[in-house]
Amino acid sequence: MKHLKPVNNKAHTLTKAVADDQVEEVVAMQSIAGCTATTDPGWEIDAFGGVTSLCQPMESDLYGCADPCWWPAQVPDTMNTYPDWNDNAASSADNWRNLGTVFPADKD
Amino acid sequence: MLPRSMTIMLTTLTLGLTTLTSGLAVAAKGPALKPGNEYMVVANYPNQMQVLDLQTDTLYKTCDMPDRFGPGALQVAPDKKTAYILNNGYEDIYGVNMDTCEVTFHAKMAQTPKERTKTLYAFALSYDGKELYAVQNPTLMERDHYVVQPTRLAVYNTDAGLDAKPVRMLPSPRLVTAMQTGKDGGLYMAGADIYKMDVHTGEYEVAVPSRNWQRERYVQPDVLNVWAVQTPTKDFTILYTTARYQKGSEDLNTADWIYGYFNINLETGATETKDFGPLTEIYFTGTRSPKDPNIMYGVLNRLAKYDIEKQTLIKAAELEHSYYCVTLNQSGSKVYLAGTNNHVAVFDADSLEHLKTIELPGGDMSTTTAQIFVR
Repeated sequence: MKHLKPVNNKAHTLTKAVADDQVEEVVAMQSIAGCTATTDPGWEIDAFGGVTSLCQPMESDLYGCADPCWWPAQVPDTMNTYPDWNDNAASSADNWRNLGTVFPADKD
Repeated sequence: MLPRSMTIMLTTLTLGLTTLTSGLAVAAKGPALKPGNEYMVVANYPNQMQVLDLQTDTLYKTCDMPDRFGPGALQVAPDKKTAYILNNGYEDIYGVNMDTCEVTFHAKMAQTPKERTKTLYAFALSYDGKELYAVQNPTLMERDHYVVQPTRLAVYNTDAGLDAKPVRMLPSPRLVTAMQTGKDGGLYMAGADIYKMDVHTGEYEVAVPSRNWQRERYVQPDVLNVWAVQTPTKDFTILYTTARYQKGSEDLNTADWIYGYFNINLETGATETKDFGPLTEIYFTGTRSPKDPNIMYGVLNRLAKYDIEKQTLIKAAELEHSYYCVTLNQSGSKVYLAGTNNHVAVFDADSLEHLKTIELPGGDMSTTTAQIFVR
């Protein structure tokens, strides 16, 4: 944490928790599916360093990635955070224009 | 197949009426399945289970599912009447009578109101269909923080009805995302390794080493455990990719890149770890031919067919888009591709000629499991 400076409330809370020794031992997540960052290549690159083994077209892979929260940095996850994201887009190929951008919001 | 414009219109209509037709949806039971006929079941958006008639390769019926979609992972009971679906955002398992579309079983993965519990694809039925096993990943949702709870295996009686509670809870290995049960009662759990668990005591051992395999000159395999496809040969098959160094070298630049499969025969308990070809493209699922166990099919951006003993690609078919899940009919004459969009593609298993594309009402199948069975 030496080189990181808290800039919002959440980060201040974390810093305080560390100072108070309240942070529990870090345990690896259960699975790379399920809302955690992964080190898998995303939609930028395939396992060979190219693009031919990425799903084609990308819409075919959209809900396969949004549903299990596979790449939450690239698509909103429908598992927990944005369950209604694709309510108006049952078919990603036909209804993709109904899929909007999402922004983090303060929770109640 | 419906013309595209009409399908879009129907999709829009369906979406528009979803909120108004929950009462109607219950009435849409469709025809009962016919004994002796072969069917395929898949799930798709907005929240449906589709039964296809494989005699004619047409849609047979649509059952509307409760709550919300996701992921639509499916297992068909041994009686071939009930399909079990993991749905509602990975939080509930439902048993659905395919004759009537009636939900006859329901288990919420969370055991207390404070829990948010997800099952990541990992559920299976006992060989006799009397028990259902689910790996559950609970998180306690406290007012100001979350607490990750230990992973557990919950065991349910399948006759427990609509408010099923676990009859046993056992500590589970982590990272398990696909499961099948052997005839001897052992539960095969595919995770970092493939474990075999005694579902009464919770004791488990490694049945097929994966991350911890010891194969001279091989690097650790890469494995995608998502689709637990039930096969007529009772094989539980999972693909791996790996690299094998040249003798006396540990240089990945000169290594052989290889595709292979893990297999457990659920009837006999026999296990295999076998290479079947060079790694040149990615497949999300693979399955062997029921009529020739030396033939392996794989799919993602192409449907490919390998001679396992010769470790060569025999043939590949181009696809209109990616498909996640490959399965074959019981005779091994036709290959069915499902998952991703709302198309089930049918290919001749020998020639890989494209025979038909069945367009499903509604939207994407996403990561649903395609299961084929004879009623």
